[in-house]
Amino acid sequence: MKQPIEMYINGEARSVTVDPYRSLLDTLRGEVGLTGTKKGCDVGDCGACTVIVDGRPLNACLMLAVEAGGCRVETVEGLQASPDQLHVLQDAFMRHGAAQCGFCTPGILMMAKSLLENNANPSDDEIRFGLSGNICRCTGYTKIFDAIRSAARQLQETPA
Amino acid sequence: MNKPHVPVEARRAFTIVGQSVRRNDVLEKVTGEGLYTADINRPGLLFGKIKRSNVAHAKISRIDTSKALALLGVKAVLTHEDVPRFLHYGSPHPRSASCTRDQYILDDKVRFWGEGIAAVAATSEEIADEALDLIEVDYEELPGVFDIDSAQAPGAPLIHEVGPGSNLVLPPVRVERGDVENGFAEADFVLEGVFEGGRPVPAYMEPNVCMADWDGSNKLTFWTSTQTAFMVRGSLAEVLGLPLNKVRVLVDHMGGGFGAKQDLFQHEYLCALLARQTRRPVRMEFTRAETFIAGRSRHPCRILLKQGFRKDGTICARDMKIIYESGAYGSHSPGVTTVGTNAATSLYRCENVRLEGCAVYTNTPIAGAFRGYGVVQAYYALDIQMDEAAERLGMDPAELKLKNAVREGDIAPSGHPIVGRGLEACLKHGITAFDWIAKRTETPRNDPAQPAIRRGWGVGCEMHGSSAYPGIREQGNATVKMNEDGSVTLLTGAAGLGTGAHTALAQIVAEELGVTFESVSVVHGDTDVVPWDIGAFASHTTYLVGSAAKIAAGKLRAAVLARAAEKLQTPTEALDMVAGRIFIADAPDRGLTVADAMGPSKGIPADHLIETGSYTPTKSYSFAAHFVEVAVDIETGLVDVRHVMPVHDVGRVIHPIAAAGQIEGGIQQGIGHTLTEDYLIDRTNGRSLNAGLVDYKMPLSMDMPKIETVILEAAPDPGGPWGAKGVGEDPIIAIGPAIANAIHDAIGARFHHYPITPEDILCALAAQKKE
Amino acid sequence: MRRFEYHEPASLAEASELLLCLGEGAFVFAGGTDLLVEIRERLRRVHHIVNIKRIPGLDELMISAEGGIWFGALVTAGRIERSSEIARLYPNLHDAVRNLGSIQVRNRATVVGNICRASPSADTIPPLVADSAEIEIFGPGGTRRTALAEFFTGPGRTTLSRGEIATGIRVPPPAEGSGRVYLKHGRRKAMELATVGVAVSLNRSRGTCSDISIALGAVGPTVLRAPKAEAMLRGAVLSPEMISAAANQAMAECTPISNVRSSADYRRAMVGVLTRRAVTRALEATA
Repeated sequence: MKQPIEMYINGEARSVTVDPYRSLLDTLRGEVGLTGTKKGCDVGDCGACTVIVDGRPLNACLMLAVEAGGCRVETVEGLQASPDQLHVLQDAFMRHGAAQCGFCTPGILMMAKSLLENNANPSDDEIRFGLSGNICRCTGYTKIFDAIRSAARQLQETPA
Repeated sequence: MNKPHVPVEARRAFTIVGQSVRRNDVLEKVTGEGLYTADINRPGLLFGKIKRSNVAHAKISRIDTSKALALLGVKAVLTHEDVPRFLHYGSPHPRSASCTRDQYILDDKVRFWGEGIAAVAATSEEIADEALDLIEVDYEELPGVFDIDSAQAPGAPLIHEVGPGSNLVLPPVRVERGDVENGFAEADFVLEGVFEGGRPVPAYMEPNVCMADWDGSNKLTFWTSTQTAFMVRGSLAEVLGLPLNKVRVLVDHMGGGFGAKQDLFQHEYLCALLARQTRRPVRMEFTRAETFIAGRSRHPCRILLKQGFRKDGTICARDMKIIYESGAYGSHSPGVTTVGTNAATSLYRCENVRLEGCAVYTNTPIAGAFRGYGVVQAYYALDIQMDEAAERLGMDPAELKLKNAVREGDIAPSGHPIVGRGLEACLKHGITAFDWIAKRTETPRNDPAQPAIRRGWGVGCEMHGSSAYPGIREQGNATVKMNEDGSVTLLTGAAGLGTGAHTALAQIVAEELGVTFESVSVVHGDTDVVPWDIGAFASHTTYLVGSAAKIAAGKLRAAVLARAAEKLQTPTEALDMVAGRIFIADAPDRGLTVADAMGPSKGIPADHLIETGSYTPTKSYSFAAHFVEVAVDIETGLVDVRHVMPVHDVGRVIHPIAAAGQIEGGIQQGIGHTLTEDYLIDRTNGRSLNAGLVDYKMPLSMDMPKIETVILEAAPDPGGPWGAKGVGEDPIIAIGPAIANAIHDAIGARFHHYPITPEDILCALAAQKKE
Repeated sequence: MRRFEYHEPASLAEASELLLCLGEGAFVFAGGTDLLVEIRERLRRVHHIVNIKRIPGLDELMISAEGGIWFGALVTAGRIERSSEIARLYPNLHDAVRNLGSIQVRNRATVVGNICRASPSADTIPPLVADSAEIEIFGPGGTRRTALAEFFTGPGRTTLSRGEIATGIRVPPPAEGSGRVYLKHGRRKAMELATVGVAVSLNRSRGTCSDISIALGAVGPTVLRAPKAEAMLRGAVLSPEMISAAANQAMAECTPISNVRSSADYRRAMVGVLTRRAVTRALEATA
């Protein structure tokens, strides 16, 4: 039976009615209409669907939408403060060539946001460890590491 | 050939080419607004799924869909009894020598475990999924062949009725130059080896997906994640019996392809047919497991390589036989076999060459096009054997490779002369920058801090062509429009796999035209709108479509200057245009903006100019040498690639960061191929064993080495814009032998296969102990 | 995905009753990181999901040097990973959770869930078995406790009967002068299922190894102890030669199989290497 839930997605209250077997990922992409979060494997192996729920990054494919009732959900669409103001990470990803096909990018951006929130000045090893659940098949990760290092520096100089 | 005589040196200093401008497609990628095929919705959308066989080789004796059709929410079910029986190519170049006509949309015969045998459309994914279980199938099983040997054994069951027989996909490809027998007779020693390659898969992040919708005029609109939109259009039209203008293929962003997304994967035809039958839009999206089972892999292979050497390191004869395993269908096997076999004529110079290449059907998943297209396999063998020769000669392997490196004037695999000395430049640069000699000769293999670790250093080389010439006579096209406000629109059919191709094309247009990069926008991905394109593959987009764009932009520049000349009342020849400003070359203060030139002025209405460019190239070759450090744990057999210095010659670099990104991503895939990635098939029954991202092991963030990318502009090719050549495929080729050679340097064991597993390392070490 | 019914009981008694009534197709759902995958990959026919997340009291995590650890069924691997006390007192458990899946998975996956899945390669089981942890189980007959080492009956099988729910894990306090290590072997540095996992917990008093337990993952139908190898080291002053001999003994005590991840022979060889390394490091940790 479908159940009504209310989530706070990128700061906005959203009411949807969902089947109990629907994942948060399918619900975000389908009922909610936020398709920035990607489905790369649907079994928690690739990290493309990484969103932040109540402050913690997780795989949206491995959470049921019914469980997200009352939760704060952050997706890539909520990263920018306004249409003209990108998040420091988004800007760094563009400058450093960290996005190639871009399919893993939303998940990696959310993971990087969480990483920098918990550790403002991560070492190279900490960046690598922080991204170990996000598969990128295009870049060899080097440009992603560059972008995150650069964003961390920039955030430290001018906190968001 | 149709090579324009573009002087390699620029007519002026570059302002945009060579700059890492912000990619014109990347803002959408970082905001989540970029639309990938699965992101597009339509009212009334149905969800399609494919029922897959659980046997590898069989006749379908009965298939009953009644229970599936009875499930609430199921709108249509298709089996081989319901679809047109049309023998098609499955691959996108039906007029070329690259592919094979051996597939049906659905057949009453199954040729590999996991082949599609029926399709369902339903109102939800869950219902479609449940319906698959309700389709009842009886099989009459046939004996299967699951490797090269059993497929080639006398009396082996035949997988196809078409083709040359004996489970061959195509007649053997034979290449002969010089006198091989005489060459071997002159040799001081001969090296001979058998090399084997596993089954890596591209594992692009975006699973295959398409959506079909028919309108009231019986026109099909088809969204799909493809590198070859026009080829999809052509194949759908051919199979469905439609004129080309009744099929519109759309692709905006796509999540990687690495070559494999040139094929059609069976679901495209089924999706279109389900949509036609239900009169509703249908989307079909592969699961991750389906991207393995029903996707395309690199061809597993076996190579017999024999070379004769003189004491001075000259190669006097080369004899190679390469057998590619095609899997259940031909797909790109003809192209892969031809390109891979011919590749062995070159890289390291040899006048006496005899090569034979075959591709063999087996009852396993389909091998197709994948970055490195047959060449990865051939050069893995060739480069490792060069290392062995160096060892035998007591020479440094980099020195031996340098001595034999292909160079200016040598005949390339494509049959025309090599331009420049790119490979030598890469090797020379790397030897110095990597501090190669000191590392190899002065650094202890043991690491006192880590007693189980042995360090080693290796080098591997490659060359790869931009464009599929001579296999396919390609044509690149571009339309460039100057709008009346001075903004520019480039229309291109080239796909945006994620490489930054559209950015490079816009840079080329802006540079040639003399406007800013920001003033050029790109329209792509709609076969009803953009000029025809053969597809994004063969490392050719910048080379081929870039040249076409440059031609169109050059014509447009002339037209714009002619208009400005009228307004400025000066001869056109007196004018120059830089960064969107037109001025008299001898009096730079006198001029006007492009917008003013295009806009209205008294007596002259605003104008809009359109020019097109078409280009038919031959081929250029790019080169690379990869220098690698590995650390081998001699107790566990684990190999850690610690440091890679890829040195690439790309002729003229258009966008340095994008080019480096290609190289670094290729290294990631190549490390995987060489050490951890292998899509395993049970050789007794054809079942997939690791169709998922946990057991198919790609290197991830913690596994990647330090990479110091070097891009040289050593050997510009006159066939590409300002000498630019391709870079997409090159990096995946050189890294493999470099790693294998470095492992040998670390532990003294030679490996002639990939992936080299920890267990292989321990076995080799144990064998050394015995000796 | 397949369709299923969803239940959110408010108490253990209600959850237990639901599981009894709904029968074979009903499964306890906590983190869901295994169950949802099994549903999608058609490995398990699930008609009902009984989500225990609303049941109060199951999310407790208590840790102290005197009392050891208690954590409830809803405590995620991520919470264990982030506990600096656990990292200090139980580095073996810390390393095991740190190597389980990804950060994202660990923010959902529960350790009790990882245990109840009863995979021979589960990372959290070897260190907990080596540390003599107990599992607490609620059921129709009341609450029972059992040694974790006795909880498993085979791959994917435990002593849980229908209507029973594992509610938490208790780990005894670490002894003075003890060292504990978990080593995992995989092809990659993250996102791996263990090819082999070895946990060693040992106590040292007056220069001898007064007690030791060695637990081996992924080399038998359940996580195994290596009692003969332990016996060789217990009560002895440990030398590298002795440790090597015990590691060889551990190789003889395991019963690995060959599968897509590794051959049995390689797994056995890695038991030797990892046991030697783990005992050596555990000994160093006592210093």
